Amino acid sequence: MPCERKPMRYGHSEGHTEVCFDDSGRFLVTCGNDGDVRIWEGLDDDDPKFITVGEKAYSLALKNGKLVTASSNNTVQIHTFPDGDPDGILTRFTTNATHVAFNSSGSRVAAGSSDFMVKVVEVSDSSQQKTLRGHEAPVLSVTLDPKDDFLASASCDGSVAVWNIEEQSQLIRWPLLQKTNDVSNAKSLCRLAWQPAGALAVPVETKVHLYARGSWDLASTLSDDLQTQLINVVAWSPCGRFLAAGGVGGSLTVWDVTSELCVERQKHEKGFTVCGLAWSPSGSQLAYTDTEGCLGLLDGLGSSSSTSSSSTSTKPARKAAEDYDDLFDDDDDGRLMDEGLSDGNNSPVKKPVAGDDEDDDDCLMPATGRPRNRGAVLDDELSLGERGSLFCSAVTPAAPPPGPLRPVYEGPLPTPPQKAFQPGSTPAHLTHRFMMWNSVGIVRGYNDDQDNAVDVEFHDTAVHHAMHLTNSLGHTMADLSQEAVTGSYLMVLRTRAAIQEAGSVHQGGAKVLQVGHERSLTINTPGFDGDQALGVQLLRLGPRKRQLIRGEALPLSHRSHLTWLGFTAEGTPCYADSEGAVRMLNRSLGNTWTPVCNTGETCKSRSDHYWVVGVHENPQQLRCIPCKGSRYPPTLPRPAVAILPFKLPMCQTSTEKGLMEEQFLRSVLFENHFGFLSASGYEVDEEAQTRSQKEQQELLMKMFALSCKLEREFRCVELAELMTHNAVTLAIRYASRSRRMGLAQRLSEVALEKANRLQQQQEEEEEESEEEPDNRPEQVEQVPEPGEEEEEEEQAEEMEQDEEPETRKRQFHRGLVFVPPQVSSSASFSPSAAAPPRGTNILDNMASGRKASPLAGSAGKANKGPVLKPLPPRPRSKTQSTLLQMTSSKKKTQGITQKQPEAPPPAPPPAPPADSGENERPKTGFQLWLEENRKSICADHPELEETEVIKEAMGRFRTLSAEERLVRAPLPPPPPPRAPERSLKGLMRRLHLLKVFQLIRPTEQISRWVNKGGGGCNDAPPPFIHTIPNRH
Amino acid sequence: MDPSEVEFLAEKETVKIIPNFSLDKIYLIGGDLGPFNPGLPVDVPVWLALNLKQRQKCRIVPPAWMDVEKLEEMRELERKENAFTPAPSPYYMELTKLLLNYASDNIPKADEIRTLVKDLWDTRIAKLRLSADKFISQLEAHAKLDNLTLMEINTIRAFLLDSLNCMYKLRSNLLPGSSKGQFTDY
Repeated sequence: MPCERKPMRYGHSEGHTEVCFDDSGRFLVTCGNDGDVRIWEGLDDDDPKFITVGEKAYSLALKNGKLVTASSNNTVQIHTFPDGDPDGILTRFTTNATHVAFNSSGSRVAAGSSDFMVKVVEVSDSSQQKTLRGHEAPVLSVTLDPKDDFLASASCDGSVAVWNIEEQSQLIRWPLLQKTNDVSNAKSLCRLAWQPAGALAVPVETKVHLYARGSWDLASTLSDDLQTQLINVVAWSPCGRFLAAGGVGGSLTVWDVTSELCVERQKHEKGFTVCGLAWSPSGSQLAYTDTEGCLGLLDGLGSSSSTSSSSTSTKPARKAAEDYDDLFDDDDDGRLMDEGLSDGNNSPVKKPVAGDDEDDDDCLMPATGRPRNRGAVLDDELSLGERGSLFCSAVTPAAPPPGPLRPVYEGPLPTPPQKAFQPGSTPAHLTHRFMMWNSVGIVRGYNDDQDNAVDVEFHDTAVHHAMHLTNSLGHTMADLSQEAVTGSYLMVLRTRAAIQEAGSVHQGGAKVLQVGHERSLTINTPGFDGDQALGVQLLRLGPRKRQLIRGEALPLSHRSHLTWLGFTAEGTPCYADSEGAVRMLNRSLGNTWTPVCNTGETCKSRSDHYWVVGVHENPQQLRCIPCKGSRYPPTLPRPAVAILPFKLPMCQTSTEKGLMEEQFLRSVLFENHFGFLSASGYEVDEEAQTRSQKEQQELLMKMFALSCKLEREFRCVELAELMTHNAVTLAIRYASRSRRMGLAQRLSEVALEKANRLQQQQEEEEEESEEEPDNRPEQVEQVPEPGEEEEEEEQAEEMEQDEEPETRKRQFHRGLVFVPPQVSSSASFSPSAAAPPRGTNILDNMASGRKASPLAGSAGKANKGPVLKPLPPRPRSKTQSTLLQMTSSKKKTQGITQKQPEAPPPAPPPAPPADSGENERPKTGFQLWLEENRKSICADHPELEETEVIKEAMGRFRTLSAEERLVRAPLPPPPPPRAPERSLKGLMRRLHLLKVFQLIRPTEQISRWVNKGGGGCNDAPPPFIHTIPNRH
Repeated sequence: MDPSEVEFLAEKETVKIIPNFSLDKIYLIGGDLGPFNPGLPVDVPVWLALNLKQRQKCRIVPPAWMDVEKLEEMRELERKENAFTPAPSPYYMELTKLLLNYASDNIPKADEIRTLVKDLWDTRIAKLRLSADKFISQLEAHAKLDNLTLMEINTIRAFLLDSLNCMYKLRSNLLPGSSKGQFTDY
């Protein structure tokens, strides 16, 4: 459509509302039921000036800086414009005035009233009044002749009358309307309008009659086939060529009077009745108001009228009789259509106004979809025009002109393609918005009068402190990630131009995938019947570039759009749509999308939504922000993140079996990422993996037991096939114990089969591993970030005292491969000399070369979840010593380091209380020795279990001489990285203990105890501490 | 019991915080806390929340009842009813005081909430005084303390019990014939 329908905005409270332009066209002036006159400087004016004129304002007129209003106190008042000062009362009625109108020069005002009278008053001298009596019911509307001789009025008595003002006499009277008793009951307001050139327009039901001035003959009738409801109000464009009409049900129609063609057809966006219409003085804009107090604007009418005028000007004047139209109907239609195509303008139906039968048929035919012999172009255009208005609210702006000669199509319509967006950000038109909310932090954008700025905040302040940046360049997109090699942050800001792209390309911030996966999303293909067809691509970057998903369709819920797309923290693609369905890529099932959660189910009401900000697979969390009654969260008050559990859509989740099945499948699905990660050469949290595998097996066993109880043997066998070998053995035992020998038999077959398969697989794997040893390069690429390293070191401290040989080996290997950034910058380090940056001095001095291993190993260790096999549990003595340790940890640890060499601990498992402080645990001489010598012990006694290895080692260590032991001086504790967090934990404990003491002890004693130094080391701790249960 | 003790008990209530650090689960005698993930809400006792807040380690999410609209409703209801209405939280006064004193920047419309809670408190205390007055003047033997919070009971307990004792003494002295109360005095 050439004219643009601006979005409606709230103007006044509900009720009759009128609008007009000021003489310059700069201001829109409205009056409404709240008694205010508002002066809008354009439709976007957020803070319009207002003048209160009464309790209600029924009508207004504006000319020459005089604002005339009909208000509820039965007067017609004048205010100056734009100042809004009262300028006297023009006239009074016995009841309220219903309509006021200026003449063309602005010297006179006509006013109609509910007391059946019409008055014409000189603006300059309100004593000069003419009263026109004769209506037998409230006057609906009045209009003054451009030459000031006549006045036309419409009344609730059903008549439209023309008066001679000077003689105060009625000239002619047409009974055109339905009779009612009051304006409020009138079906149509019947606002009359006098053309600047002369004709009087009278809205009569669904048509507009034009009467010639002077002869008062019906000159012509303007109608529109799609106009099914009454016309309420008409208005002439300033040039007098176009007539706009607004009606009940929100129709807005513009006719070109010379050709009697409808040149514009729009519909009120909500279908409210239009009760006020005004052309801007330039004729390019048409303002309208509805009975709900809203104000709207059609812009760009001038251009549409000029094109249509050029296309119609060639035609003969069509004021002739209707039968004449009939004759030429076909030709004209055809020509019009061609013209319409040539200038790409297909908005209104360019169709003769006179409703001829033939043409009506044309309109009906396409609807039935019957092929017609009369040129497909014509039909198509007609049908399109019709559709364009019928589905106005849905497709009008987007519907592209279909190619010519396309067969008639009356099926479902294309869904408008979704606009480009960035996941995790709220729409750009908001003044305060989230530019990005992800697992790393929040970027807020402010764009209002005072401030145009960007606030960056990190969830974890340890990553980076919050920032406030001015946004002078007008950035509209932002992203946050933790991945930068500097360990701080990387911010990608793009300007508006980037948004114009069809899709938004977004750098993946998945931390685990350090080399980076980048995804690209293209949204192009329109779908049908409310479903979009989106394509998705998954690209893998890094050393081996690959396109994993090639533009496949992204399944969305019916009539929904994409709201979030991204990676889980573990690197699995995942997306959410507007219906609340969250789907995740199931790599094990040929890259299909599995629905994992429906946020819509957890919403309390229909208008509530969850705004997804992140997905985590381990632990299974869907992080989103609940939004009450909206799709996006407001920036203030700051929304809180909620965590939703995942739930696969399964049948019968109310039963125990269904529940367990759901749990099992979910567990399997969320375990997928482990496989993916290890396949792409990243470290995997093996602890979590074994945990989830164990959980799966447990679930399987439970289900097995359940179906055993229910005597479903086939199900039992099926379940057993899913189990691991060990679990099957258990299942067989269970079956035989519950006296199901047949089942046990069958299960043992299954077990056998499984064992065979396992063997085969192993063989295959071996072959494969020989074939491709090319997994390495990726690992080399992986550069540990300092940030991560800190974490690792922290974990290294927390690490149990002994490590399994094989892990150590791997770490050692990695320690060689890894080149920490600090080191790599200073040129020529051989891998073996690549020492980690921290706390290595003593170690290096003490044992050069190979000795880098323990620490390098621990520093290069896996980020999360150090691989620790179950060791003989070392009870953490967390009674008094823990407390004491925490209070004076620094001093203590020094003491320990001095003490230890002389007295190596007799046995590692029950660690001596002195070094059991959780925070800084220095390695004992024995440990160091053990690490160095473990291999040899293992080699000597390959059959030994872990605990036995340690025992053996202990025995050997004891045989060493004291000097030898001294060489194994323990390291000084590495400087506590992340000191705040560590001390925080201790602090929390202390605080908590204090709370507990306070509960059971008189306060005084405690404060004394605290003042002494919080249970200083020498002081005897309160005796009851021993009774505190150990939590580990 | 003095008010600080009641406040101490109130500190055991849990409140949601959004930490800006990460820490594993910590195991305390009073129960496990955490794990703390930056940006994710977690429930902790008030004493810890305030401590963390003072160290700028977290943002406190105000409890659901600490909302202007809800409190206004409660205030109106409290004014309308003759009996006590259920308090928004058993420690509403203490929590309001603690949270607003230390974390007013995390609570939208803190000032309004302060006034509203004070209004609520005043209404309830006035009611309490009124009923105590009635209790004494009508020589009732017992009174129900439904929906009263600990803090409210505490504010009136010392005074009411003492004065009741006093009155009892006076009354029993007034009636020399009755043997009641004689031995309590001498």
